[in-house]
Amino acid sequence: MKVKTQMEGDVAIVHVSGKLMGGPESENLRNEIKQLLDKGTTKFVVNLKGVPWINSTGLGALMAVYTSVQRGEGALKLAHVSDRIQSLFMITKLLTIFDTYATEKEAIESF
Amino acid sequence: MSDAGSGSQRLVLPSEYETLERVDEILLGCEHFKTLDGKTQNEVALAMIEAVTNAVVHGNRLDKDKKVTVNCEWDPDEIRISVHDEGEGFDESCVWDPTDEEHCMKCSGRGVFIMRATMDEVEFEMSEETGTTVRMRKITKGAGDGTGGEV
Repeated sequence: MKVKTQMEGDVAIVHVSGKLMGGPESENLRNEIKQLLDKGTTKFVVNLKGVPWINSTGLGALMAVYTSVQRGEGALKLAHVSDRIQSLFMITKLLTIFDTYATEKEAIESF
Repeated sequence: MSDAGSGSQRLVLPSEYETLERVDEILLGCEHFKTLDGKTQNEVALAMIEAVTNAVVHGNRLDKDKKVTVNCEWDPDEIRISVHDEGEGFDESCVWDPTDEEHCMKCSGRGVFIMRATMDEVEFEMSEETGTTVRMRKITKGAGDGTGGEV
């Protein structure tokens, strides 16, 4: 799993690619968000376009970063959620927690 | 092994994170899986991912000396999956409902819930001597429109 960030104004777009299955690589996402929070960033879009698969451990990683951002008084949105990940959010009722958007642009405009 | 819409596949896998990334490969080895509609494919795949994750991470605790054995059997009406690990199992009464308000923000504890939500039958067999097996069954009659999904 790879994580790469670009700034769009004051919004950090965090591109994740690969299967989000937990493990040491999930730490990359947590560390990236933590570093951005430490620098004062409060608006985040996690772009999941490159994430075809996720398991409950990966879901836990997303919950962890969501909670970190909330604690930092910020907001985190998700973009390009695949059908399979959307199914997982529906089953676990996390659609009521996460704001999901079809595109990165829509997610940015939602702030 | 397959014959006239039925078949089986058995795989013995190492207990490492890389195994989790092979679940799609395992499922695509089940010929019946490829004929299912996208929704049913998603449900079976989510359950399989969770079962293998539990076995590798929680059951065998990433011990490379321990193996995970996956069996898939299918016929035109259903798909049956069993995942065996060498761990001691867990207390089923301690599995909470992650959709409860009290638990929904937790970062773990959703795996068994996802398996039960996506499959028609899920049962665990646990033994200190032989390990833990989860057996799952999905009725697929009428779910095979041949279009497949996004695997």
